[in-house]
Amino acid sequence: MKIFNLLTLKFITFYQRYLTVLSFGSCRYIPTCSHYAQIQFEQNNFFKAFFYSITRILRCNQLFEGGFDYPKIKYDTNKAVFKKIKVKYWLIPTDDGYYLVVKNWKRNINELGK
Amino acid sequence: MDLNKNTMNKQDTQKRILVATLISFAFFMAYDFFYLQPQQQLQAQQAKNKVVQTNTTNGVTNTKQAPQVMQQNNNATVSKSVKTDNFSDIITTIQTKSSVITIDALGRISQVTLKAKQYIDKDGKAINLFTKDQLKPLEVRFEDSKLNDEAFKTKVTTSATSLDVINGAKTLTLTQTLSTTTLTKVLKFYPDGHYDIDVKTSNNQNFFITPGYRPNVLVDMYADHGALVLKNDATLEVIKDKKADETKQFVGINAVSQFDRYYTTVLYNFQKNLQVTIMPDDNQSPQAFIHVLTKINLHGYLGPKEHTILKALDPRLTDLIEYGWFTFIAKPMFLLLQFIYNIIGNWGWTIVATTMLIKLVLYPLSYKGMVSMNRLKELSPKVKAIQEKYKDDKQKASAKMMELYKKEGANPMGGCLPMIMQIPVFFALYRVLLNAIELKGSGWILWIHDLASMDPYFVLPVFMGITMFVQQKITPNQMQDATQKKIFQFLPVIFTVMMAWFPAGLTLYWTVNNLFTVAQQYYINKIFEAKKLKKAIVKDS
Repeated sequence: MKIFNLLTLKFITFYQRYLTVLSFGSCRYIPTCSHYAQIQFEQNNFFKAFFYSITRILRCNQLFEGGFDYPKIKYDTNKAVFKKIKVKYWLIPTDDGYYLVVKNWKRNINELGK
Repeated sequence: MDLNKNTMNKQDTQKRILVATLISFAFFMAYDFFYLQPQQQLQAQQAKNKVVQTNTTNGVTNTKQAPQVMQQNNNATVSKSVKTDNFSDIITTIQTKSSVITIDALGRISQVTLKAKQYIDKDGKAINLFTKDQLKPLEVRFEDSKLNDEAFKTKVTTSATSLDVINGAKTLTLTQTLSTTTLTKVLKFYPDGHYDIDVKTSNNQNFFITPGYRPNVLVDMYADHGALVLKNDATLEVIKDKKADETKQFVGINAVSQFDRYYTTVLYNFQKNLQVTIMPDDNQSPQAFIHVLTKINLHGYLGPKEHTILKALDPRLTDLIEYGWFTFIAKPMFLLLQFIYNIIGNWGWTIVATTMLIKLVLYPLSYKGMVSMNRLKELSPKVKAIQEKYKDDKQKASAKMMELYKKEGANPMGGCLPMIMQIPVFFALYRVLLNAIELKGSGWILWIHDLASMDPYFVLPVFMGITMFVQQKITPNQMQDATQKKIFQFLPVIFTVMMAWFPAGLTLYWTVNNLFTVAQQYYINKIFEAKKLKKAIVKDS
């Protein structure tokens, strides 16, 4: 299972690096479909991630409004380890017990500045 | 800090331009290597074959063992003995509406020559389906090896030396009298080039019968060729040339075909479950044999894989037209094209019409997108302000832009789905152009004489590049980064180079697609300008 996730992530990275010029400026969402899929395949199991990524792409057309659409995941806060970390994502709790995954932007700028 | 980031970005994007260019060049090099060169080699080989044909007179040179015997004792050297008798003599010639079929002294189909106009090659010669010295259709191999050896030394007798079935089906009986048994093949040939066959032995001998080695007319690396079995659950299995590593048994088979890109030799019976052995020859190419317990009746067809012909024989036979793993989308694409072709009568215009049809179906979608794009043009000061304010943080800038879109209720992006949808449509058309014999040698207008091969003068690809450039010019885009804009402008050039070696029909599709988009955009821009003008007038008065 993990290996499929890894392979898919590799493919997404390849796409983002070399093929986005072909489809530049078409995604109607934030994060873009490829970013969304990336987070899904990082955080979810393969089938869930596949399902959510595909439905996201299917929704990415003129019939849907577009806009902000973050991946939703389940997260067990009891399992959290308390130590000093670099913040990669913020988890924002929703009403139904899930968490929205939002990429931490600020970090990129600070890091580059150093 | 900011400077650092900008230069890094620039380097990164420049790398990407380089990589994109490299990929496209690698692609066309690969295309040249895998597609064009094999075709040239094939032509050279065909020329060589002609020489061989005139020189050799011995028809039977190879191992002629039944599949199972072959498995048991691998002493192929023993049975490879060259026979001195001439078994390639033609004992019967059959004239059908579309072909000339000849039968040799061992009761096998020796050659099929296609008569129809579209199958005459560039040199004005009719196409011969088979190469000499390959396994011939309707060859019988006995399970009993002694009998088998004898059978390959005994000529068959025929009931007629020539058969004219242009006006109606006729029957032919081939008899081979051996020491312990008599083999009879009763063949009924039909005007369309298909036949029924009844084979039996006089005293319950088991044997094998083959549809023969695949036709050898157009063999390249872009379309599959080899053997194919159609199972009774409507699934199929392809054994490609050079990929048959071992002898394989299949049960529950309805049809077995040996095929190249456009032509097939097939034996089928949808009322029976056949047992088939696929055995590799010296080049690991598949040879198919149907197991026969004392007697069998089958149907056969030799000729082009034309959809209408196969459908008339049995609708299930249309599965023999194989578009690779993309069949599930390529086949509907072909059916749509054929439907439109039947109305229009020219494949080039069919592609044009199909493209417009697809565009029209998607029109409501693209209209919406273009309208929002125009609405945002009016907001360009706001957009510029955002870009200026967050020029160091692209992600934040795009988030702010998205907020603006939300507020205005207009999202100018086309979406990933329409983008991705292009790929299967494009690929399906590509496969249809490669595999469907109907499109082979079909012209459009002026210099395009064959939509299935590349444009010899590169006019269409260049024109395609121009339309793509114009389309980009006329479409307002929100691209922020200067280097990215440059890559974007560079794309028509890359695509022109890439498309130059593709089938002309595909370039035609892409060109019409672009033209239609430009026309749409132009029309919508006009409407908006008129509206704006109206507004201005109202304000003034």
